[in-house]
Amino acid sequence: MLGVLLGGIYGIVSVGLTIIFGVMDVVNIAHGAFVVVGMYTVWVVAGQGLSPFLGLPVAGVLLFAVGVAIQRSAIAPLAEERQSSRLLVTIAFSIVIVAAVEGTFGPTPRNLDLDLGSIEVGGVYVIRGQLYALVVAAATFAAVWVFLHRTHTGRAIRGTADNRTSAAYAGVDVERIDALTFGLGAGLAGLAGGLVTFVQPFDPYLGNTYLTIAFVVVILGGLGSIPGTVVGGLVVGLLHVFGSYFLPGSYYNVLILVVFVGLLVFKPTGLFGGEIDA
Amino acid sequence: MRDRDTPPNRAARLLGVVVASLRTLSDRWYATPALTVGAFALLAVLPQALDVRVFGVGLASVLSLQALILALVWATAAQSWNLVSGFAGQFSLGHAAFFGLGAYTPLVLAREVGVSPWIGMLAGGVVAAGYALCLGGLTFRYDIRGSYFVLVTLAFAELLLYLFVNVDAVGGASGVVKPLPDAYGAEFGLAAFQFTGRLPYYYVVLAFLAVVTLVALLLERSQTGLYLRAIRDDEDAARAVGIPTVRYKLFALALSAFFTAWAGAFWAMYFPSIRPRMVFGVLVNIDIVLPAAVGGIGTVAGPVVGAFALEIISGLGRQAVDFPELQDVVGGVVLLLVVLKAPGGLVSLPGKAADLVDRFNGERTSVWDRDPSRTEDD
Repeated sequence: MLGVLLGGIYGIVSVGLTIIFGVMDVVNIAHGAFVVVGMYTVWVVAGQGLSPFLGLPVAGVLLFAVGVAIQRSAIAPLAEERQSSRLLVTIAFSIVIVAAVEGTFGPTPRNLDLDLGSIEVGGVYVIRGQLYALVVAAATFAAVWVFLHRTHTGRAIRGTADNRTSAAYAGVDVERIDALTFGLGAGLAGLAGGLVTFVQPFDPYLGNTYLTIAFVVVILGGLGSIPGTVVGGLVVGLLHVFGSYFLPGSYYNVLILVVFVGLLVFKPTGLFGGEIDA
Repeated sequence: MRDRDTPPNRAARLLGVVVASLRTLSDRWYATPALTVGAFALLAVLPQALDVRVFGVGLASVLSLQALILALVWATAAQSWNLVSGFAGQFSLGHAAFFGLGAYTPLVLAREVGVSPWIGMLAGGVVAAGYALCLGGLTFRYDIRGSYFVLVTLAFAELLLYLFVNVDAVGGASGVVKPLPDAYGAEFGLAAFQFTGRLPYYYVVLAFLAVVTLVALLLERSQTGLYLRAIRDDEDAARAVGIPTVRYKLFALALSAFFTAWAGAFWAMYFPSIRPRMVFGVLVNIDIVLPAAVGGIGTVAGPVVGAFALEIISGLGRQAVDFPELQDVVGGVVLLLVVLKAPGGLVSLPGKAADLVDRFNGERTSVWDRDPSRTEDD
């Protein structure tokens, strides 16, 4: 249960990372920082006496705006530069955002005091908050899938990821798609960050953990593949839970990364990946 | 014609002459050696200059010896990073792996076996180079480049982080405490790699930086350096003309890892203890990349200039506002400005300024020195 929920959260973070990468060829180091902002948004909303579930869409919309602003102001002007300079910009934003969060909320770990009780499902007690979070995660996946496959804009995003030049010739405004994609990816990271608050205590540095896991998930599932990312997220989430049950300490992190390296040795294109053409 | 003698134009012409003579100087064969020796001589006397006060303002208010030592550590690491990521264009976000291995190896060897940290440092370099070969072997074999390489290098660094957090033989999450010199049969001093004051540490890390800089300069001028740059600019073309690209990339990565481990070894011997998160964490990766990115990726002077620029700016910032997180913000903001406004890094600024002066003078000449007869004809 927790494994599936964690897997869902990892999956949402990673889907954001993978669509940004697919469309713009940017490895978004600031993704972990976006997750952190999402966590604190939900915390602030819950602090107002409102339901933390209300914080989830707020986090998503806020991060969407942040993402669009960053893309417009700092990444779009570098479209013609080397790929590494766009990477450096996202590093710069990750530093600034994490420091700003730390300066505002302090470095101490926070915990969302949420007790909705638990319900019994087939002899297993399930924490209600986590169940709802799981529902939100599943709904998000469904919404993203429908958006990317069944709407005009979603198809334009996939087309741009597939072949930028052809998409531009076919009448797609690729610059608008870039901004939209970065915003969407950031929004998903914010939403996932909000879900994290239902599962574990959080501090401003948790973003780095989620960033690494998202990298692993994204490569595990094959870069650019959304079903691969969902499966990769679930695999990592289950490895996390079972690993921490059967192995001492935080060896589960080692386990996750060893599986990752093993995959790199035997199937470097990822579980669902095709040809690597970076 | 009289306009040429207005003060701003005269100043511009004078500047133009200065720029022209500096250009000729920088084309001479002795320019780089002279500049390098001069820069290191300056760095050697810098600690003494900290206490000198000019008009009541001392350098010490902005820079401390501690800050200088840290700047040199990150400059050394960034210079090593530059060997593979700057020259060969293989952007790594996982150099913390090599830094951490370099930090752990001498400490563990000194504590458990009583080996001198100097030998431990070399051993750490070899271990780091070995790990680099594993990483490179896995990635370069499948032609993993660009963004994929960034992801894989970061994952390899994180793998070590979690491994060292969990293995109790190397202290687990609480890390390793630096042993006293008598644990490996030595007195405080150069032979023990431990000193009672801070100043000797400064000169040790300055020597490290000098060695890495020398290696970088030699590599830049060698045939290998040319091959690496060819790989950076167009790997497929480089392979097509017969350069064994995988072998050269592996060499650059291993060399880079070896010297990054030196910076790690210094870190371990300078601070009283190390913890996995301090030497393997994501922030270490960023700390290693920052100086090179700010100073200028792919240039020998860049990492050194960048490291000191960052340290000076954050020192000024600390003085201006009392806000502890500011130091982190400074790195990010400076990086952002450099990438957006001066993509070549800080070291590209003098050249740009010179071009600006030339263009200013050039425009003036073209307006005022135009042949009058031809303007009449048009």
